[in-house]
Amino acid sequence: MKLLFKPFEKVSKNTRLLIVLFWVVLVVTFWFISSMGERHLFPSPQQVFTGFSELYNEGLVVHVASSLFLCLKAIIIAVIISLIFAYLSTIPVIKPLANTLSKLRYLPLTGITFYLTILINDARTMQVWVLVVFMSTYLTTSLLSMVSAIPQEEFDHARSLQCKRWEVLWEVVIKGRVDHVIEVIRQNLAIVWMMLVTVESILVAAGGLGFLIKNSDKFMNHGRIIALQIVILFVGLSIDFILNYLRKTFFRYSKI
Amino acid sequence: MTYSTENTLLYVEDLSVSYGDKTVIKDINFVEKDVIRTGNVTGQVIAFVGRSGRGKSTLFRALTGLVKPSSGKVLIADTTTGIDNDAKVVNEGDIGFVDQKYTLFRNKTVSQALMFALRNKEITKEEKEVKIKEYLHQWGLEKVKDQYPNELSGGQRQRTAIIEQIFCSGHYMVLDEPFSGLDVGNIQDVKDAFNLMTASHEFNTIIYSTHDIELAVELADSIYVIGYPSIEGKLADYGTIVKHIDMKEIGLAWKDFGLDHMEVVKQIKAAMLSS
Ligand SMILES: Nc1ncnc2c1ncn2[C@@H]1O[C@H](COP(=O)(O)OP(=O)(O)O)[C@@H](O)[C@H]1O
Ligand SMILES: [Mg+2]
Repeated sequence: MKLLFKPFEKVSKNTRLLIVLFWVVLVVTFWFISSMGERHLFPSPQQVFTGFSELYNEGLVVHVASSLFLCLKAIIIAVIISLIFAYLSTIPVIKPLANTLSKLRYLPLTGITFYLTILINDARTMQVWVLVVFMSTYLTTSLLSMVSAIPQEEFDHARSLQCKRWEVLWEVVIKGRVDHVIEVIRQNLAIVWMMLVTVESILVAAGGLGFLIKNSDKFMNHGRIIALQIVILFVGLSIDFILNYLRKTFFRYSKI
Repeated sequence: MTYSTENTLLYVEDLSVSYGDKTVIKDINFVEKDVIRTGNVTGQVIAFVGRSGRGKSTLFRALTGLVKPSSGKVLIADTTTGIDNDAKVVNEGDIGFVDQKYTLFRNKTVSQALMFALRNKEITKEEKEVKIKEYLHQWGLEKVKDQYPNELSGGQRQRTAIIEQIFCSGHYMVLDEPFSGLDVGNIQDVKDAFNLMTASHEFNTIIYSTHDIELAVELADSIYVIGYPSIEGKLADYGTIVKHIDMKEIGLAWKDFGLDHMEVVKQIKAAMLSS
């Protein structure tokens, strides 16, 4: 028992499971107890459950699909843009551009949406591009550090095998780091997810998870809000899991 | 043992390399010629020794054209023109280079990497496959041919890196600390590889660095000590050649390690300690 409180102590698989179970039970019990009185911070499990079934009947699945589709579109565009910048950052003339794009992540959201509204009329396109701009800055940052983390020896190795410079870029940076790109996307996914609420309030008619939250918010329906949070959390975690799984199965050499 | 020297194979003049303001190596001058022994194909084995941080790896990156010298030049024999003693400035890719960490492509298996090393050779795919198979067998890599670098042992990675360079580059091969971190068996493998390479062509030249002075004295026919030179009684802070021992000249090359070799080891150690 005392061992469980010792730093760096290795525990067996069963013990680990028990520890997780212990925490889950603790959290759930806390939830029940804390939501019993008259005034409480969290809605009770029953409220959340009703919230959930209400949402389901109002077409939760469609909203989830709408959000996923929006994210997917934005991610694909953002990944393409950031990859181009990150790969070309190995060229001296392009490097400052890539660095600048990465620094733009310090811009406040309003700055970007303001100019995008001037440029884009269509609300759906607008949603996509707000996400794209945001994701690109973060993705570019991570991809740039991925590129600069490649040891000089790997470039030298390719060069010593008579690779031309463009071939070095192709073999070492592009082909040699595909698995890292997947990992970078996975780690930055949470950012789109976070932006979802803001972005979906641009075009309410298109619906989506973010829109649903906003809506429940208005009516102070706590049960629904928590139910939605849980849905969003799980959808996000599933994508996270899938990407990680893809990386590990398709790239046997990938130990990140 | 009689020998003579012919074409110049490696000509280094006033070489210096700086990173930013820091001069790492300076005033490096040396010449290595093709060694001829009658009745024997004799390649050249050149060793560089010196304490850590004196610039051996930097010198090797300059020799292989991977880093531009701040001054001076490195010339190698141009064997493609057919003219005797034709020389050219070294370019990246001309000289094979196996670095200290035996770096490979992380996303290529052993056989994929070897196929890649042969990509520019004008032979058919079948011929390439036969050649790869032959080398995999000879170097004991058959069992691991479909494994990625992170699934290989240090010795296996090193052997793959050496074959890659044999496939890809001409007569020169530079190896940075090829004996570090290997067990006795692997060390013997590398020695055998040296013999194989030097016995297969007159021009083949192996340049390596090592912290094992005995291995330098045993294998090399020319040994350079890289260290900080003493100028007016004070140690400078850049590396240069502080001692050269031509093992051929003193009649110790191509011989079994003996008492005379021990004497050379002592001399080299003394030179290293004072630089
Ligand atoms: N890329 C680099 N940038 C700056 N300094 C370097 C670089 N590479 C090596 N050095 C410096 O050059 C010196 C010689 O290093 P190195 O050639 O690796 O020595 P050795 O191989 O003899 O141990 C060291 O002081 C090292 O810090
Ligand atoms: Mg070194």
